[in-house]
Amino acid sequence: MRILLIEDDLSVAEYIVKGLRESGYQVEHAADGKSGLVKATTEEFDALIVDRMLPNVDGLTIIQTLRAANDATPALILSALGEVDDRVKGLKAGGDDYLVKPFAFAELLARIEVILRRHESSSAVTRLKVADLEMDLLAHKVTRGGETFNLQPREYKLLEYLMRHAGQVVTRTMLLENVWDYHFDPQTNVIDVHISRLRQKVDKGFDRQLLNTVRGAGYMLDDSQ
Amino acid sequence: MILSKIFTSFTFRFLVSYVAWLSVSVFMVLALIYAFIAYGFFSDVHSSVKLELDELSQAYEKGGREAVDRFVAEHSGPERLIRFFYFVGDAQQRKIAGNLTEWPDAKEYRNGWLGFDFESLTSIADPVSNEFIARSMQLPSGEQLLVARHYADVLNSTKLVAGALTRSMVATIILGTIGGAITAGLSLRRIEHINTTLHRIMSGDFSERIDISGSTGDFRRLSENVNQMLDRIEVLMTGVRQVSDNIAHDLRTPLTRLRNKLSDLHDNCHDPGNREQVEALIEEADGLLGTFSALLRIAQVESGNRRSGFADVDLCTLVSDVIELYEPLAADKGQRFNTAMARVGKLVGDRNLLFQAVANLVDNAIKYTPEGGEVQVGLSVEPDCYRIYVADTGIGIPDVDRDKVFQRFFRVESSRSRHPGNGLGLSLVQAVVKLHDGSIALEDNRPGLKVVMRLPRQSSATSKV
Repeated sequence: MRILLIEDDLSVAEYIVKGLRESGYQVEHAADGKSGLVKATTEEFDALIVDRMLPNVDGLTIIQTLRAANDATPALILSALGEVDDRVKGLKAGGDDYLVKPFAFAELLARIEVILRRHESSSAVTRLKVADLEMDLLAHKVTRGGETFNLQPREYKLLEYLMRHAGQVVTRTMLLENVWDYHFDPQTNVIDVHISRLRQKVDKGFDRQLLNTVRGAGYMLDDSQ
Repeated sequence: MILSKIFTSFTFRFLVSYVAWLSVSVFMVLALIYAFIAYGFFSDVHSSVKLELDELSQAYEKGGREAVDRFVAEHSGPERLIRFFYFVGDAQQRKIAGNLTEWPDAKEYRNGWLGFDFESLTSIADPVSNEFIARSMQLPSGEQLLVARHYADVLNSTKLVAGALTRSMVATIILGTIGGAITAGLSLRRIEHINTTLHRIMSGDFSERIDISGSTGDFRRLSENVNQMLDRIEVLMTGVRQVSDNIAHDLRTPLTRLRNKLSDLHDNCHDPGNREQVEALIEEADGLLGTFSALLRIAQVESGNRRSGFADVDLCTLVSDVIELYEPLAADKGQRFNTAMARVGKLVGDRNLLFQAVANLVDNAIKYTPEGGEVQVGLSVEPDCYRIYVADTGIGIPDVDRDKVFQRFFRVESSRSRHPGNGLGLSLVQAVVKLHDGSIALEDNRPGLKVVMRLPRQSSATSKV
């Protein structure tokens, strides 16, 4: 997997490059907008990480240019909070996700994995399956080991998101953004309570715990067989 | 209300005392004028009576009784403006000549002046009054002469003068008072204008200035000075805010690096004891980063830039979502969670920020309410605004701290040690409410706290973009 990082802050870039390499990605780094755009158009990458504020050409312009040229490489936009927070603008420009600095590396990694995977499986799915946990998206039915259980609408959405990203780390902010559809900063870990409720329904009475907490990062629905 | 303000205003009281002193001076001047005029009238009367008496005695000495009759006829005709009455009697005051029937029963005044009332004069002429002033003299030959003049006209004139003077004094006082009230009202209106503007500024809108168009002189200078002072305060305030924001901004990058290095260390650390310590350090760093992010977020909201992201927000769904998100948390603490939702229309605003604001309030309510307590969230419609309230049965906020809790980093003393938090939650709520032109109030829930947020239904925010 090749990733292009376009970031002018060298210490941040170094940190991201190091982290991604350790996670098994190949990373190219461009320190300004112009060289970044050249690299992105001339070489093949599986994903882009683009800072919004860049010298010469800014991040949004790079993504817009690529999208205009029918290049659908998934892109994650980085932006410093304190600048005008136009998440919507970033996503409209063609970005696939938006991450505000500062961020924990786990957050970045989780999001990169999600956009990479999203790109892979964009075809319509009607059934999700993780180990013996099954979700019928058409009938809104969830079973584990053939046993059906009732979920509240939000629990259903939460489980669906986790199942769609089974095997990937899903952070709390990702859940807030995608399951609750609000971009905000909870003061307490409200998400933990929802997860533990869901865990009660999904894992209680089963030997194998599917819904796991990943320390310092988030949660993961385990699909390792 | 405005009248009572006029009467208690400094200008009015100043003018009242001014009018009082003016009245005293005017009274003294008028009294003097009156004294002069009255004195003049009476000395005229006296000298004319003396003159008549002299002429009468000369006429009598020259021509006796006939001359007196002629003299009287000449001097007391109806065409004369002032009517004199004459009497010439012998030593026993028996009538010899004149147009008086008998010697009047007169009262003696100073310097040979006599005064009497005479009722029977009606047959001779239409008397204006019956009061007379008279002077008599005795000729060497024993005859007694008397000239009398009724002086009611003089009294009338002096009364007229006195009346005019009194009226002008009353007019002075009335006009002075009215003028005072008007002047006070005018200056009060200007001061009131300055006051209301200052109130608005104190309640938060620091961009407001006193309108100086149309005012001149002292008030303009005063307003200009106040405006300049406000400019200066604003510069200082934004300076302080910018410094804190810049610090947050500049420290965040090294902090992020620190956090990242700690996390590296954590991954490469194999000694469980050290790992735990590193985890604690990471938590500390996350707390600091959280504080900085919150500070910057508030700064960003306060700058008003977020208005560009305004769109239709369904408050009902939004509040329900907050409730749905936090309800399990309250349930875990054994708290009852009540909601009172009214169906409301849409509001123009930033849904993420509004969600954050309501979430912060609910979060606080749950945090500060003991187990088994109650948290209540409600949404209702008022004539021109939507009202969202979050009430709890927790420890509440003491009266003295009510205003301060919106300040950044302020935390109620009793909660400082017991509850985690950075003291920025309510600051952010306030910033969000202000961004939406709303208001926020803290009320006593007896026991506990009730936070009431009001958001205008027709947010003017869109027109300001």
